[in-house]
Amino acid sequence: MLKLFTRITSVTAALAMVATAAAAQESGTITGHVRTESGGPLTAASVTVGSLGLGGYTNDQGVYTVTVPASRMNGAAVTLTARRVGYSPKSVTIKLSGGMIQQDFSLTANATNLSGVVVTALGVSKEKSQLGTAIQTVSSDALNATHDDNVVNQLAGKVSGVQITSAGTQGGSTKITIRGANSITGNNDPLFIVDGTPVSNYDRGGSPNGGMDFGSAINDLNSDDIASITVLKGPNAAAIYGSRGANGVVLITTKRGSASANGIQTSITSNYTWDTPSILPKFQNLYGQGAGGEFQFVDGAGGGVQDFNDQSFGPRLDGRTMGCTFIPNTTTYDQTAPCTQFTSPVVNGVLQPIPWVAHPDNVSSFFQTGSTFSNNVAFSGGTERATGRLSAGVDNTTGVIPNNTFRKFSSSLAGNFNVSSRLSTSANVQYISNKGYNRAGVGYNQGILEGLYVWFGRQVDMNALKDYQPRADQTFACNGQFNWNCNYHNNPYWIQYQNPEADDRDRIIGSASAKWKITDWLNATAQTGTDYFRANIDQNYGAGNINYDDLAYNGAFTHFQNRNNENNSSLLLTADKRPTSWLQLNATFGANRRYATYNSGSVATDAILASGIYNVSNSAKSPTVNEDVERRQTNSGYGSGSFTINDIWTVEVTGRNDWSSTLPKGNNSYFYPSINSSLVLTDLAPFLKNRVLSYAKLRGSIANVGNDAAPYQLATTYVGNANKFGSLPQYTLTDTRANPTLKPENTNSGEVGLELGFLNNRATLDATYYAKATTNEIVNLSLAGETGFTGASLNAGKLTNKGFEALFTVIPIQTASGFQWTSTFNYSANRSKLVTLYPGVNNYVIGSTWTINEEARVGQPYGAIFATPYKRDAATGELLLSGGLPQNDAGNRRVLGNVNPKWLGGWNNEVRWGRFSASALLDIHRGGNIYSVTNMFGQYTGVLASSINGRQVDWDNPGLVIKGIDQATGKENTVNVTSENYYQSLFENGEAFLYDDSFVKLREVRVGYDLPTSFTRSLRVSSANIAFVGRNLWTHSKVPNIDPEFAYTTGNYQGAEFAALPTTRSLGFNLRITP
Amino acid sequence: MNITKLTCAAGLFLAAGVVGCNNDSLTNLNTNPNNPSSAPPGPVFTNAARLSTGRFVGNGFDLRQTEFVAQHWAEAQYPDEDRYARLDPASTQGTWNGAYPGEMKDLKGVAQAGIALKQPGTYGPAQVLLAWDYEYLTDTWGNIPYSAALAGDSVGGSLTPAFDSQKDIYTGLLATLTKAAADMSSATATNTLGSADPIYGGDPAAWAKFANSLRARLAMRLVNVDPATANSQLTAALNDPAGVFTSNADMAKLVWPGDGIYNNPMTDNFVTRDDHRVSQTLANILFANNDPRVPILMQPVADSSRSGPRGYFGMPNGLVTSAAGVYIKTASRPGLYLWPGATSVGTIGSAANKKNPSYIMTYAELCFIEAEAAQRGMGGLTPGQAAGFYTAGITAAMTQRGVAAGDIATFLAQPGVVYAGGTAGLTQIAVQKWISMVDDGAQSWAEWRRTCQPSTIVAGPGAVINYVPRRFYYPTTEYSINAVNVAAANGAQGADNFGTRIYWDTKPTAAPTYVSAQVCAGTPGTG
Repeated sequence: MLKLFTRITSVTAALAMVATAAAAQESGTITGHVRTESGGPLTAASVTVGSLGLGGYTNDQGVYTVTVPASRMNGAAVTLTARRVGYSPKSVTIKLSGGMIQQDFSLTANATNLSGVVVTALGVSKEKSQLGTAIQTVSSDALNATHDDNVVNQLAGKVSGVQITSAGTQGGSTKITIRGANSITGNNDPLFIVDGTPVSNYDRGGSPNGGMDFGSAINDLNSDDIASITVLKGPNAAAIYGSRGANGVVLITTKRGSASANGIQTSITSNYTWDTPSILPKFQNLYGQGAGGEFQFVDGAGGGVQDFNDQSFGPRLDGRTMGCTFIPNTTTYDQTAPCTQFTSPVVNGVLQPIPWVAHPDNVSSFFQTGSTFSNNVAFSGGTERATGRLSAGVDNTTGVIPNNTFRKFSSSLAGNFNVSSRLSTSANVQYISNKGYNRAGVGYNQGILEGLYVWFGRQVDMNALKDYQPRADQTFACNGQFNWNCNYHNNPYWIQYQNPEADDRDRIIGSASAKWKITDWLNATAQTGTDYFRANIDQNYGAGNINYDDLAYNGAFTHFQNRNNENNSSLLLTADKRPTSWLQLNATFGANRRYATYNSGSVATDAILASGIYNVSNSAKSPTVNEDVERRQTNSGYGSGSFTINDIWTVEVTGRNDWSSTLPKGNNSYFYPSINSSLVLTDLAPFLKNRVLSYAKLRGSIANVGNDAAPYQLATTYVGNANKFGSLPQYTLTDTRANPTLKPENTNSGEVGLELGFLNNRATLDATYYAKATTNEIVNLSLAGETGFTGASLNAGKLTNKGFEALFTVIPIQTASGFQWTSTFNYSANRSKLVTLYPGVNNYVIGSTWTINEEARVGQPYGAIFATPYKRDAATGELLLSGGLPQNDAGNRRVLGNVNPKWLGGWNNEVRWGRFSASALLDIHRGGNIYSVTNMFGQYTGVLASSINGRQVDWDNPGLVIKGIDQATGKENTVNVTSENYYQSLFENGEAFLYDDSFVKLREVRVGYDLPTSFTRSLRVSSANIAFVGRNLWTHSKVPNIDPEFAYTTGNYQGAEFAALPTTRSLGFNLRITP
Repeated sequence: MNITKLTCAAGLFLAAGVVGCNNDSLTNLNTNPNNPSSAPPGPVFTNAARLSTGRFVGNGFDLRQTEFVAQHWAEAQYPDEDRYARLDPASTQGTWNGAYPGEMKDLKGVAQAGIALKQPGTYGPAQVLLAWDYEYLTDTWGNIPYSAALAGDSVGGSLTPAFDSQKDIYTGLLATLTKAAADMSSATATNTLGSADPIYGGDPAAWAKFANSLRARLAMRLVNVDPATANSQLTAALNDPAGVFTSNADMAKLVWPGDGIYNNPMTDNFVTRDDHRVSQTLANILFANNDPRVPILMQPVADSSRSGPRGYFGMPNGLVTSAAGVYIKTASRPGLYLWPGATSVGTIGSAANKKNPSYIMTYAELCFIEAEAAQRGMGGLTPGQAAGFYTAGITAAMTQRGVAAGDIATFLAQPGVVYAGGTAGLTQIAVQKWISMVDDGAQSWAEWRRTCQPSTIVAGPGAVINYVPRRFYYPTTEYSINAVNVAAANGAQGADNFGTRIYWDTKPTAAPTYVSAQVCAGTPGTG
């Protein structure tokens, strides 16, 4: 959009007339590079001749072109100014003569984010000083300081007001929330827009209860193609987007080609990192598998003593070969009983005793050092008439668990063609192919890590499991595997090699637009864009897989596919006029039609005949099939108007009306307005300026945004079942009661902001306070089952969010020798509260894991954790014990915490010194709670180091005397219990496993070096940078054993953890070659 | 791009958006292309019958909850349910929140459709099966939503239904069954559900017999709290012209297709889980009378060193994990008929078992109800008739399990089995009824609460309470989304815990009684 809609800050009608008249004649050109001090190209910098109202932007090679009408090439001296957010502007005087003027700029980085040109809603570029709302831009350089396969991860810690939670598995979903959740049951994702086209962040995630996380669709974007990202923080800045802007908008502008004198230019980026799990649980290595101090392996399914058992409360791992079980009815080890294990050698069909010892690294050795290798090459160039850019990138990731890979191929072609001086056209298309193989299952079911982290024997020899095929002399059946347990778990290697999973997503994002310059102050733009993807997920289960139902058969599969398409077509009229020198007027009118379809289908069977053939024709019984189609359309008309007086005071109003297909007639047309204003105080009252304060701006905004429903919420329908009962068809009325009278939901939001510059903008502060309230929410409210329904579509509830966000940048040191240290701190604090829900209903369950609920509960923040506390003595608050064990007070379940952080911070420090640069980003998360099932089960099963108390000497010695009051006697407890009974008594206790989720992560580190010009010149490139990069190098957290950051989905259920793969710690190298 | 639409929208905006576009096409786009807004009653009934049966006499509520309370089976590996630790509100609420919206709403819908069509052959079966569902729910929780329930999508229907007293629910259910039986035995009742009825193939006369038999079950349950109503309802039910069950052929059962999609739900459980063992409460009773059902209801133990009579052994209920594990090897698995052949622990049972029926109500149960009624002189029967009904009940129950006729005769001839009459007879009837109800934990539990038989049912040593639950806790969800009404229910019924007794669970007063004065609690050591 940058190129589509070139807008100059000061245009006079008279000049425009002249320019129009001159258009037919020969024109002149001013062109050149805009670079950083270190010589790197600066993209999206504006270069203007203010007095003539002419200008242009730099492309991704940092090249700008300004076309000057021949009539102005009269030898007059004019001022040419180059500006960009984050850099000090520079002006030079040039003489307009000749056909071609070459003028390069080198801009000095500046902490200021307070002035310059930024991309705003609808892709319109504006002066930041005229904005009445909070937006923040992240440049390509800042975004790509280090590489991650998910572009949203690369935003982490960089934008205030935004919370980003990385995926709980590699290749998984990253959750992004801007200024808290607005919707109780709906989508709280921001809207993503690429070059004016809304794109899907469709998510097929897992949950702590199981499944696989197939990642969020925004992962498809290639960050090397991104020129900049602008975050519109909530409804105020995004009001013109209406419904879909309520959660904020992430505007992505991709790189474009530009006219270049040197022909085709090539840029190359290459990145290689080694990836390892950042955190692994701390395990105990004193006790092996078993229960009650006993273990003897016979068939792993109960044939021995506790050999079906997947816990580690067995005998002490002291190397004994005899005496792992007791003499019957005693607790004396029977020294004649052999300690057999699954790895025991077999003599005459009998398992032989082997030493009972720990394998301390059995879990960690399952993990491997993965790698991410990504390469991108882009060609660009063109003439004055036509420009183009072609880019291709490949990401190859080898996972940190065996046989797990991800591949992404992305390509992008963008072109501009100026048909005439009045008509310019532009088109771009991106094709992305994304493939994942053998992803790690998450959570309780399918989760490979639940088997490793919690249900595991500490004596299990992982190395022996690598060969998962049954051994020739194997004495136990074990479902055709060689495994340590035959009742509950597959061999983890068997899962990775015999349950093949493959998923892919092919995607096309494209748009075409034409801009007609009606007059110099009035433009019309027509644009149409599409986002289409097709995804397949094939989950196959080999013969012998323990988790599927019919062991008589030879395997199972679930094949899922979907297609998702959204088309948007819009017409936009923009007017920009400066009728007098002190007044500037802007107006925009537009209309948009959005049409979206979603199709999905699946075919599954838990029984196939011939093993290894995962085709529906090989089903041993009727397969289960499903299909689903959704369609929706929204027509919109919108407009905005603004005036700016003396470049000091700006007022803008916006309005939008939507007509939605998903709401009933009579309620399906809704209008919402917004108003914002900005006032540059230091220009209004110059006396405010002094040696300390150099700039001050006040802004404020009020916006109202509506929102429609998901499709098909208006009529209750019957759902059929493709599976016949014998031969009988089946139907049932859906469990969600529809609502024929739904109304649009409504968000009111207000914000005030202050932007301050100090010490000639060496230090700047951009701070915002906001408050918003969503009412009439369209919720799928939970109903009590006795109504006959589990949920109902209703307009209900009021959810408020208030918060403060700030971005502070300072350059503490800047020397003449070129040394500069820049420090940026962003801060976000949001407080949410559910004010009302529905008469008689005060609670909605967002998600549930074991006995904890995450809830929207009246009077509480969104995401309250409702859980079982310990039973306590009312008078003293001490634990009430029974038989020496703590009790769960199930009858007193209540809100014990909530998932929302108190505040978030990102602190980035960058040091530049000549050719060297170094930066480090700390991502800080303070407060909020998470519930860790890994810790609960890890103690229940006795594998974690934290479960060793009470068995320091032997399995039942010294035992534990828990501090508390005996329920029966009312006296201090004196009963000694075993470690096993104590830790297992904490099962389903919510209080014991609720943790303060504060953490600090060293998110990004980059140490770069710009190769000397002499060298780059020999390569015929303008710059080359080589860097050492690292992500997630260090974590400080109060949560034991797990990564405190995890997401299984982009959905609303966050904060309950079970066996999430830790984020990867990545270390490697990065190479950037710029033409 | 649709220029007309765009122009329309843009034009309207410019004209200040006074009128809306003609948005019929927008509205039509929102017609659900996947699901119809109405469905014929037959397929709806099929689905509801399958769900009802699978829920109450299937895998979760039955196999993992009530059967441990009823002590036919015990849990050898994860004994939390058996210790009542995982009978907490969050664990048991699935039955409540599943049944009402899952099948009961649909049964009500079929009944309403049938009433509108004046087809007793449609509404009768739906009403009877709905009553059967309600009986399981109210006997588990006591007061539950009934009269205002299942109306979430009706005009004026409550989204927070009030709870009814169990007394009123029983009154309502008995009235519904009475009318349904009468309507289905009328001349106008025709086979309208047809083969869509997987229980009786749409036969209204068979449904009428089931309705009367179910009425007898409900009536007998009131015998302690309201003997007069029990008597009048028993009399009416047993003498209804439509009749009651008279042979095993009449009983209500659902035969599973066994096609891998819809198997007997218990066999589905035993494919991958091997943690149930026969309770010693059941085993000891079977052993004591040389019951020929031992090899049917139990399997020989794996570890012969710890076997009881003939290689079979039961395990105690309610052990802690570390004490329970040993019984994996040393106690009997539940009967082979529950096992599907290929399981994760080897081949046990046969694939044919996947087609085994789930019993909705058996003829044997009716015989025992008649026997008890006779012994009490109720239902128009006399004590002299009790022995005949008792013998018929044992014969029906054994035949149902596949015991040979000769073995039945041998069993019946034993001194401890021959009907004793009086209180001893009532005890014999209750114990035999309890045995006949293996794999219907909820009915067995209800009968124990009513009769205190078998008296050997006591809370296990590791149980979290020192008595056997009298009811389950109300679902957690009720407290969050129907809080006012659940609070009112607690006010009316008593505190929401395991110990509060539901309406009919009172000290036996009707003579003769099973236990003279003691209120049987299932507390260890009190017998």
